Amino acid sequence: MRRRSGVILAAIGLGLAACGGEAKAPDGAWQSQMREVRMAVRGSEDDPMITRRLTAYKTYIGKATGLPVKLYESSDYNGTIQALSSGQVDIATIAGGGYANVDAQIGELAQPILTVRQAEGDIGYYSGLLVMANSPYRSIQDLKGKTLGYVDFNSTSGYLFPRAVMREQGIDPDTFFGRSSFAGGHTQAVMALDNGQFDATIINMGGGDPEHGFTTGAHFTMARRGVVDLDDFRIIWTAGPIPNSAVVVRTDRPQPFIDAVRGAMAALPYDDPEVWRDIGQPDGATFTAVTREHYAPIIKLRADDIAARRSGERQ
Amino acid sequence: MRRLILAAGAVLLSAAQAQAPTLPLRIAEVGPAAGPCAPLPANAPAGQKAYYQLLAERLQTEVLNCPVTDAGAAAQALAAGQVDMARLDGAAYGAVSDKTRSVLITRSRGALNRLPVVVSALKSSKAESLADLAGASLVFGGPMQAAHQAPRAALRSYGADDGFFGAQRVAQDYEAAAAQLRNGEAQAMVLHAGAWQKLCRGDQPGEDLCADLKVLWRQRQVADQAWAVRLDMTDDWRFRLIGIHVAMHNEAPDAFAWAAGPDAEEYEPTEAKALIHQGPTVGS
Repeated sequence: MRRRSGVILAAIGLGLAACGGEAKAPDGAWQSQMREVRMAVRGSEDDPMITRRLTAYKTYIGKATGLPVKLYESSDYNGTIQALSSGQVDIATIAGGGYANVDAQIGELAQPILTVRQAEGDIGYYSGLLVMANSPYRSIQDLKGKTLGYVDFNSTSGYLFPRAVMREQGIDPDTFFGRSSFAGGHTQAVMALDNGQFDATIINMGGGDPEHGFTTGAHFTMARRGVVDLDDFRIIWTAGPIPNSAVVVRTDRPQPFIDAVRGAMAALPYDDPEVWRDIGQPDGATFTAVTREHYAPIIKLRADDIAARRSGERQ
Repeated sequence: MRRLILAAGAVLLSAAQAQAPTLPLRIAEVGPAAGPCAPLPANAPAGQKAYYQLLAERLQTEVLNCPVTDAGAAAQALAAGQVDMARLDGAAYGAVSDKTRSVLITRSRGALNRLPVVVSALKSSKAESLADLAGASLVFGGPMQAAHQAPRAALRSYGADDGFFGAQRVAQDYEAAAAQLRNGEAQAMVLHAGAWQKLCRGDQPGEDLCADLKVLWRQRQVADQAWAVRLDMTDDWRFRLIGIHVAMHNEAPDAFAWAAGPDAEEYEPTEAKALIHQGPTVGS
């Protein structure tokens, strides 16, 4: 069933990860309008267990809204972006760059409502330029003419944001590196680096800062799974902080749905800390309410990047 | 056939609910005199009107103001089903904790989340609880607010103020704190839960880097005041109320300024029993 659904939905970039929830009769008028909650979640290649753990999350949201919940797992950034933009899903968790793409497509029909605030109070994360520890590269300047793997055209930390920071620092990423290409995901980027396909790659990092080091990110998760060894890598440059991923809703859904799902998600770390951990959120962190304004710098970065490409100013 | 029956049932249920009158939301407000629930008077402050109007629009129901004389009376009215929301303190909530729960607090400007705090010791330590740490030396996991001031406040709310412990030191970060605990420079370590998680989560599958440590205490700071609702409030209303309030500083600043007060940055959800201790207090 799962494979068949994936095939059916592949054309629009979505795989149906877990169909339906406990069938419940809608409780009121807005529930009758909605019938079900369709949530897009980004599949985690470096943590395949996350889909199984999302079952409890689905149950929690189902109980909170009184509606069956369908989780749509997307294998790439574009799948989530298009699902939200087309209205195939009602709500999605999406990085700033992805939301900027959605915003460019449907504007006010999508609205960020929540982002994660870490225990330390910050609401951002970082891009990290990763090289092999046994390589001679010690700074970004050492990578002139070398190969670089980006994550995805829609990735905030793995493409948009670090490129802008490089330009601010006098490095034109389109001419400075010898060759660059997209790995397709953070995990793929780390794997490609490990396999020698790139000299360096840029991925997301969190749970710390450049001064104190990081504790979360694709290569950390992969190391915990035993896929790679942390000691094989070195971080030689960082950019950030970048606004954390947003929970984005379709604004053409009933306002009571938006309020209920926002309330349920905001209450999650207090009402059910186990489920909070299950969805990959750190202890001590919470959701905090945001608006489009919070992502305005990312929206501008993306628009500038596309405009420069169209004008031929950038590759 | 089964689907058809279910669908028909859902339609009938929806129709019945559509005809049912929507109950008002009744908010307790402490003032000089008690009185029956009523719409806000015309001379109510503009911010209060904005707050009530926001709730009325978003909950699609009438919002009534219910004058009570103090938090205790508000708690009793809440438990008795005479009001639906009331701002309570610990004493007022404690008397009705079997019928009500806290849902929201206000977070002050610059303050952190109500962080869970973890106090740990070596597994070989004789200490088994916070009470056993009277006079013990402590190490905190860093000088930052999340690592030092916030955990101290959580400990104080359980009676463990500075005088309860022995010598206290502040390490550079959580890893340095763990090193000091392990080499005997402190008898217990205080971290926020996020730091504890980072410290203990290994890089390999199933690896526990804190197998040599034991948790003696894990709590959040007890809240001074919180908005509370009855336990039998529907999930729909409770979560909608939370969803409206946590975004109010963005969506309705005038309403937020009146409802949350001048020092508040935003509303923050709480666990059900945020107003009372979740374990024994210590100290004098």
